[in-house]
Amino acid sequence: MADKQIPSIDALIENSRTRGYVMDRSLATAIYLLVQLGKPLLIEGHAGVGKTEAAKVLASILGTELIRLQCYEGLDVNSAVYEWNYQKQLLAIKLQEGRNRELRDLEAHIFGPDFLLQRPLLKSISGEEKSPVLLVDEIDRADEAFEAFLLEVLGEFQISIPELGTIKAAKPPYVILTSNGARELSDALKRRCLYHWIDYPSFEKEMDIVHARLPGIGTELGAQVVSFLHSLRKMSLSKIPGVAETLDLSTALMLLEKNLDTETAERTIGCVIKSADDLTRVREEGLDKLLAS
Amino acid sequence: MPTEPDNLERAVVRFCRCARANGLGSGRTTLDCLQALRIVQTAGVAAIEDALRSVLCSSKQDWDLFAKLFALVWEGPAPTRVSPKKSGKNRFSSYGLGREQTIQKLFTNSDRSDVDSCPDKAVSGASLVERLTKTDFALIPAADLAKLERLSVRLLRRMSYRISRRLRLTERRGVVDLRRTIRRNLLHGGELIELRHKKKRRQRAKLVLLLDVSDSMNPYSLFLLKFAYALKQCAREVSAFIFSTNLIDIEGVLNAKSWSDAMEKLSEMTTGWYGGTKIGGSLQSFNRRFGARLLTKNSAVIILSDGWDTEAPDSLVNELRKIKNQSKQLIWLNPLLGLPGYEPVTRGMSAALPYIDVFAPAHNLESLLQLERHLKVA
Repeated sequence: MADKQIPSIDALIENSRTRGYVMDRSLATAIYLLVQLGKPLLIEGHAGVGKTEAAKVLASILGTELIRLQCYEGLDVNSAVYEWNYQKQLLAIKLQEGRNRELRDLEAHIFGPDFLLQRPLLKSISGEEKSPVLLVDEIDRADEAFEAFLLEVLGEFQISIPELGTIKAAKPPYVILTSNGARELSDALKRRCLYHWIDYPSFEKEMDIVHARLPGIGTELGAQVVSFLHSLRKMSLSKIPGVAETLDLSTALMLLEKNLDTETAERTIGCVIKSADDLTRVREEGLDKLLAS
Repeated sequence: MPTEPDNLERAVVRFCRCARANGLGSGRTTLDCLQALRIVQTAGVAAIEDALRSVLCSSKQDWDLFAKLFALVWEGPAPTRVSPKKSGKNRFSSYGLGREQTIQKLFTNSDRSDVDSCPDKAVSGASLVERLTKTDFALIPAADLAKLERLSVRLLRRMSYRISRRLRLTERRGVVDLRRTIRRNLLHGGELIELRHKKKRRQRAKLVLLLDVSDSMNPYSLFLLKFAYALKQCAREVSAFIFSTNLIDIEGVLNAKSWSDAMEKLSEMTTGWYGGTKIGGSLQSFNRRFGARLLTKNSAVIILSDGWDTEAPDSLVNELRKIKNQSKQLIWLNPLLGLPGYEPVTRGMSAALPYIDVFAPAHNLESLLQLERHLKVA
């Protein structure tokens, strides 16, 4: 199935490029292994280097659904796996009130699939035709209890719902987890996953990305923006701009139809610098100096 | 690099063993590597390297180590150990410390021999417990360290357990607000479908420990670490960091099953210890990297430091203000406060005082056990 869309590593690189995502060989190899081995892939890297994008492009290449689970502090099983639709259940009970229905019957009815709200994890294992891509975004934000639960799901690709029984995936999803490294993940989770680290791209690769994403951009403008971003990344900022910011700034300048000089940089600085402290620091350093280097 | 399939597999197995000796990958992964190898072996050497890397690594550190190892094993002479990791296992010293060369040197006070000659060291029985809890850590004779350790484990665990229960209770949701529930459900014809609660769920209480391990804190560091370890063992909601000139996250270390494991882990990451102190800079890096996640209206930040700072106090004040604004309580435990006649007049300390909610000593076991009383979270 997946062999048809991704016959080889080279094909994967090629396919993702046509979709505007520049994948280097090592990431392509990792994703190829993920598809072939059916193991989850943990992608780590700074914010805005294209971790989430990798999952999107994989789903697009495979022609399958992308199911996204955004993790946050306090994420619990109910919002990640399933929830009963309580209101609907109560209404159903109310409707049945007059009609002498067997209690057991009624119970089977209101705890049936009609009343089940699927959340991302359950949805990802109940696909029947194609394996979806499950993106577990920012797993480091969820707490450890949830991580342990996730481990169980990823190990067996099955979920037990007390009222319904165990649901096992007919088509196990391809799983990509991303992490910003806000906290150390458990050894058990790491052991189960393939791993890939995405660093900030080199000048050449970033140029490549800019061209793939914004085909209309001139080489000169692209080079200006990328080298500006590279010199920003060398400063000690609290929010280091990623590739996403490079693209934002490029788009902004294309819209303004301007080249990047001190004046336009000052006007568009909000695309790349996202905190007041950083802004002061950049101004102290001097925009013209940053642009010149 | 060998090209025959059979040789290739053998080479990969050999590489995996070497990787494991250097702390990369674990038990199952040789098989995984071979499986991965079969999938990519027609795609060339680079693909094999990438594949092995995906399987064997699980962090940025691994990622960097892998490059060195791969180059060594495949391009250089016969493999030897690259990193000192896992060598000389379990050579713990008499009181449960990590590897002698590093940790013990970090903590055991070189002046301990002077302390041993203190006249009042030979005490026994119940009064010993009393005396040990009250004696300044720096002044406890080496002979009593093991006893103090056992005692502190017991007492700290007891306190941590109580604290952890307090932290957990906050997960409860408020009681049902009948008036608003009925009012709301008029929509549904008076049938009670949606429940309204009096209180929204509160954010989980968190404890953040920031431990100063610089030179001047040397006599106390070990005990304060132990304190952090005991807390962490009983309550998941504890995050801990050590700092001197830079900040290190030691949450993973404190998750270790035993204290000696924790110490061994710690000895593997002893960069930047035992030097001057940059409290301001360390707190800044804490705020930047972890502030957003750890500082909430229900978190208590506990700084364990003597307040000796080599930098100007401006940045310290600045960062403390941020912490204070974003958390519920800022507690500063200072071992020096136990010294008779100590006044917080160092530049850093006196500048910090206005932002601190609780300023208390931390020089002996008794004072650490007081933490329970200071905490306002939960």
